[in-house]
Amino acid sequence: MMPATLDDLKILDLSQGLAGPVCAKILADFGADVIKVEPPAGDIARHTAPFFGDDHHMEKSLVFLLANLNKRGITLDIEESAGREALLSLVKTADILVESFVPGYLTSLGLDYASLSAINPNLIMISITPFGQTGPYSQYQSEEIVTYALSGIMSISGTSDREPLKHGGMQSQYEGGLSGAVAVLAALYAREMMGEGQYIDVSLQEVVTSTLVVHQPMYGWVGAVQGRRRPSGNSYGQVQPCKDGYFIWQTGGGALWSEIAEFFGPDELKVEPFTTVSGRAEHGEELDRLVTEATKDRTMQELFVTASEKYHILFGIVQEPKDLAQCPHLEAREFFQIVDHPVIGRIRVPFRLWSMPDAPVTYRRPAPLLGQHNAEILGAI
Amino acid sequence: MIRMSKKPLEGVRIIDTSYVFAGPYATGLLGDLGAEVIKIEGPTRPDFTRGGNFSGLLPDNEHRPDPWNCMSSYNIVNRGKKSLILDLARKEGRDVLIDLIKISDVIVENFTPRVMRGWGLDYPNMKKINPRIVMISNTGYGRGGPYSEYPAQATTQEATHGLAAVTGYQGGEPSKAGQSYVDFLAAWSCSSAALLGLRHRQRFGHGLWADIGMYQLGCFNVSEYILDSIANNKLGVRIGNRHRQFAPQGCYRCEGTDDWCAISVRDDQDWAALCNLMEKPELVNDPRFAKVTGRQEHHDYLDTVISAWTSRFSKIAVMERVQSVGVPAGAVLDGRDLHFNPHLKSRGLIEIVNFPPERNVGLQRPMLGRPWKFSAASLSIKGPAPTYGQHNQEVLRETLGYDDARCAALEKDGIVVDKPLKTRDIPDMSMDKRVAIGRLAYWDRDYKKRLGIS
Repeated sequence: MMPATLDDLKILDLSQGLAGPVCAKILADFGADVIKVEPPAGDIARHTAPFFGDDHHMEKSLVFLLANLNKRGITLDIEESAGREALLSLVKTADILVESFVPGYLTSLGLDYASLSAINPNLIMISITPFGQTGPYSQYQSEEIVTYALSGIMSISGTSDREPLKHGGMQSQYEGGLSGAVAVLAALYAREMMGEGQYIDVSLQEVVTSTLVVHQPMYGWVGAVQGRRRPSGNSYGQVQPCKDGYFIWQTGGGALWSEIAEFFGPDELKVEPFTTVSGRAEHGEELDRLVTEATKDRTMQELFVTASEKYHILFGIVQEPKDLAQCPHLEAREFFQIVDHPVIGRIRVPFRLWSMPDAPVTYRRPAPLLGQHNAEILGAI
Repeated sequence: MIRMSKKPLEGVRIIDTSYVFAGPYATGLLGDLGAEVIKIEGPTRPDFTRGGNFSGLLPDNEHRPDPWNCMSSYNIVNRGKKSLILDLARKEGRDVLIDLIKISDVIVENFTPRVMRGWGLDYPNMKKINPRIVMISNTGYGRGGPYSEYPAQATTQEATHGLAAVTGYQGGEPSKAGQSYVDFLAAWSCSSAALLGLRHRQRFGHGLWADIGMYQLGCFNVSEYILDSIANNKLGVRIGNRHRQFAPQGCYRCEGTDDWCAISVRDDQDWAALCNLMEKPELVNDPRFAKVTGRQEHHDYLDTVISAWTSRFSKIAVMERVQSVGVPAGAVLDGRDLHFNPHLKSRGLIEIVNFPPERNVGLQRPMLGRPWKFSAASLSIKGPAPTYGQHNQEVLRETLGYDDARCAALEKDGIVVDKPLKTRDIPDMSMDKRVAIGRLAYWDRDYKKRLGIS
């Protein structure tokens, strides 16, 4: 069996929701022994939709299932001294602790990094919260849309005649988990080079803001502020309808404009003003009209394959969740993992983020039931 | 708590032949963490962020003799790196790269799969050159699978990876989401894979290869929709700013021209607090709105009630008032606000980076830092992005130890150059025109004064 990169690590995951748990799950997938420590009432993600069979049941949240694969689970009431003592004894041998409580909560229980590192100087602790540990908003309540609004990204999402638009789902949470993993792994590398653990403060707001590498410097370079696109007239870079759905295309990549014009077909596209970047920007409405007219009888799949294979155009189609569930490319990339869950049963779960043939992720167990490993783990203390 | 004098990745050398955002931002962040990053571009193929669609704007939107060194997005993403220009299409160029591979820890690349294979630099060959190298390949779809060779880039992928289908106003069309959204998922994934590789090497003595496909990263971020389809046969629906389980939730108009605040009512307690704050206590006891199902049913009406209240105050005042009663609320910050918001300022996310006068970019520019704070290392952006070929001599002579004759030959043969032989268009358009055609919302002529930069 191939060695797993992180199979010598013990991790305590006290985080709830999606961001912290995804961070800890990534470490678990690469081999770490992750113990999920939930309060007696369970992680809030256990109440997050969607649920298997639409049944709002503690063990049927598909979000909890996704974010806690490969972890063992215990329940501890850290507001009681017995619970705190159990946690402290686990901390003594832990390498990493992940948490997402409201800033100040763990300090109020004597479980802040200063206290924990006093009993285990090797400990790396990461807090992933909506606004970070410091600053005037650190105690603010948040929800995905609130983090999103304050990140800046909503100001450029949607159309200018309407309200700013949140992206679908829980993007800041996934992003926070992925970005948090980078910080933990960097601290781990530093620990091995320099011998001590440290504390990391991650703000989900800043995670999303830090993706605005086009938007932010426009102000810093010129004082320019991008807004939301107009409702019509420049949907170049926006989805356009075709026979059975929607598609999106861009210039750049390997295709010349002449090839793009040939792919779509109309002769008007082959001459000015459409042959230059600024001409296309200025005549966006006309460009949209020509392209929409030319593609109204073509299917998404045909457009996607022809544009990609024959013309090497940057081209996308609007795939629905069911398309992704059946996607042959995801199948070939082994994106899904079959999970046997004691309550849910057998189910395919999105799992593999990328391939590393010499040190692949491994699937070992489904998400834990609430308190499933109490006897095994707490009994051993 | 400054116990460690060194940054986490000090002593790590990274070669980056990748372009645009994903790989370059990964190595930019790894550079912030202390790694030495050598950015390699081709003589006829400057990075696509040095001109064209993804490059952003020129300083003050004014012409420069070397625009490829001045673009806004290029400078953010490539901060603190060294620049080497090398013609990898020729064997003499690849020989230099091979010499660098021998003395480096990580290589990041985003060529389409056939390119590295064609050069004999795919991982099986790469590890013969340096068994300890960690190789990160980032492409649109990854190696293997039917779409592997398809051209890809974030804007088109966000449709294909499922985000557009679940993003959009209620009942409306699928919507474009971010700016190169999936590139940043890839940037973090490349960074994590590189760090995993370095640790793997410490433990087991050899490097590894990570094959990252952006498509699959984007798909993972809509996992709950995919699972809802697998488990419950559900379609992905566009619900705009509303919440799957809570109500009301939305983005409400505030006093001002384009000012908004997001508010999310999570439960009955939040609802009562918001009603009392809006001085509408009668709504608390209205049986139509007492439970979430009723509030969902009457969501449109509740949106008008909330908007009528929010439109009387600034977006910041709305946020502060709603937060003061314990209900989640956040003002929609725009590109200007990000630079002045007191919370972001106190956290120091945006750093002022000094540029040397000869760069002709301005002496100081504000740049996005990192979303992580480390207790044992005080990190900051090391400096601006390099000019094209700025470190050719340093890398060839000092890092590789080449002698005068070899350096001269590389330059004479055009293997190493310091001026791009081909460049991409920089859209030439006044700021007012950009505003007029809707590419920008507005611009502040006095932005430098506001920012306090020179």
